[in-house]
Amino acid sequence: MTKVKRLGGTDTGMVFVLPAFLYMMIFVGYPIISNFILSFRDVTVSNLVQGSQKFVGFANYLELFRDSVFRKALSNTLFFTVCCLLLQFVLGFGLALLFHKKFSLAKPLRGITLIPWMVPITVTALIFRLLFATDIGVLNYMLKSAHLISKNIEWLTQPKTAMFALICANVWIGIPFNMILISTGLTTIPQELYESASMDGATRTDAFFKITLPLLRPTIESVLVLGFIYTFKVYDLVYVMTGGGPVNATHMLSTYSYKLSFEMFQYSRGASVANVLFVVLMLVSILYIRITTQGEEEQDDA
Amino acid sequence: MTRKKNMAFSIGMILLIAAFLFPLYWTVNTSLKTEQEIFQNPPTFYPHIRNLQSYKAQVSNGDFNMFRSFGNSFVIALGAMLISVVLAVPASYGIARYRFRGKKFMLLTFLFTQMLPVAVLLTPMFVLFKNLRMYNTWMSTILADATIGIPFSVLILKNYFASIPKDIEEAAYLDGCNKYTAFFRVLIPVAKPGVAVCAIFSFLYAWGDLAYGMTFIIDQQKRPITAGIFNFMGQYGTKWSYLTAFAVVVIIPVAFLFIFMQKYIVSGMTSGAVKG
Repeated sequence: MTKVKRLGGTDTGMVFVLPAFLYMMIFVGYPIISNFILSFRDVTVSNLVQGSQKFVGFANYLELFRDSVFRKALSNTLFFTVCCLLLQFVLGFGLALLFHKKFSLAKPLRGITLIPWMVPITVTALIFRLLFATDIGVLNYMLKSAHLISKNIEWLTQPKTAMFALICANVWIGIPFNMILISTGLTTIPQELYESASMDGATRTDAFFKITLPLLRPTIESVLVLGFIYTFKVYDLVYVMTGGGPVNATHMLSTYSYKLSFEMFQYSRGASVANVLFVVLMLVSILYIRITTQGEEEQDDA
Repeated sequence: MTRKKNMAFSIGMILLIAAFLFPLYWTVNTSLKTEQEIFQNPPTFYPHIRNLQSYKAQVSNGDFNMFRSFGNSFVIALGAMLISVVLAVPASYGIARYRFRGKKFMLLTFLFTQMLPVAVLLTPMFVLFKNLRMYNTWMSTILADATIGIPFSVLILKNYFASIPKDIEEAAYLDGCNKYTAFFRVLIPVAKPGVAVCAIFSFLYAWGDLAYGMTFIIDQQKRPITAGIFNFMGQYGTKWSYLTAFAVVVIIPVAFLFIFMQKYIVSGMTSGAVKG
């Protein structure tokens, strides 16, 4: 750290960082504050851009808890997040372990596995609508061929199956993300540990629980927390695949907030839903920052 | 692994990954079929009559021009990418190399903004762009999309700059550079791979955005391709050959980026996430 001081004074660093910081303050900081203010007022389409906006205190928030769609959206978001996190973590971990075996195609195959993560989510939603379509959907065809069902299932028009389809689509996006992070984590574990463990008579299962899991802990923590953040704020996927339907059954906090603001033009109520989402993500982000900066601070002190 | 075992394992993995990527194959397959063949039962696993009609129709018929909205997305994504890179590269360098008041707060700001849900920003940004007279222009979406690219880029590049030995600056100073010329002439070239990662991800984030483009741009003519698809789905809900052709066109740039920049993409996914 002494060298840093020699490189420049207080102002130089500021000059480098300030433009980006100001940009974020204008286009993100200001909207966050403005959204909080919005949630304490009564703003609809008539007084959004101009006109007096009445201050109503916590009325919008109190109303939310009487709103059955909001409660449904909240529980949906939690259910969706937990299911996706578990499935994509387990499957991604499994894939990472398979890619860790030394076979000739490991690298290129691991590479193309990342593609679903990069596809724009709107397109992923379209693709899964096609797969889950009732009459021409290939999933229904496969299930029927396997004699698992006798009649086509209307996946996207029933609450439970629509939720299932959403989870499948999101897990498809999440697997590459989990796989690549765990895969990189695995390469940091020294091979000698396994060798000496097996000389000491440890089985593979022992090695997995006594070496792999403990050493991967930092990676696993950030994969899960980041996964939570990305999944909890899911928007595009649900909006395009089900639009929150059938009859509000698959709304998430983000899609419900959007619906209130931009389809029903109840901006203040939409803002209050968004703020509930915001507060949850804020708390999880603090957790994430604590996890990831622990190591860095130790490095700084050294 | 023995050779035989290696073979068997490789084949098993190919099948597994092929199954995982099946949805993508099915999309391309559907886009090349005729509407009639799509509704055929049992479904055909490759197009029996090859048919490019769904692609051609988008160029000629006036309903919705897929290639125009492709162009719109391209302009928006490039604009957002430029803003992100121009602002994030110096910012990350400043954070990596200098100490100044408020640094910790600024760093935390970048960390938090990376995790924000769009729902919080949409209405206030909507009002802001209306007041700035940018509503219904590309600029609104470019400015909004850059707010995703900037924090990501700052956090990635910060680690990148921190890993560059400080001797490089010292040498530049000895050669007569000042703090700023050293940054432009010496450090940016050294950090090129990191800058590439940021550029790619900023582009990809903007390319995939739906919420901003859909909310801030109303004219179909100016909307990005994601919003175009969404609209199209509402209008032609079951015209699957058109819809999937649309999807394929959106994936093409992503696929190209992937083929040529795979190394950078892997590094972006891993370093950005694990080290915050």
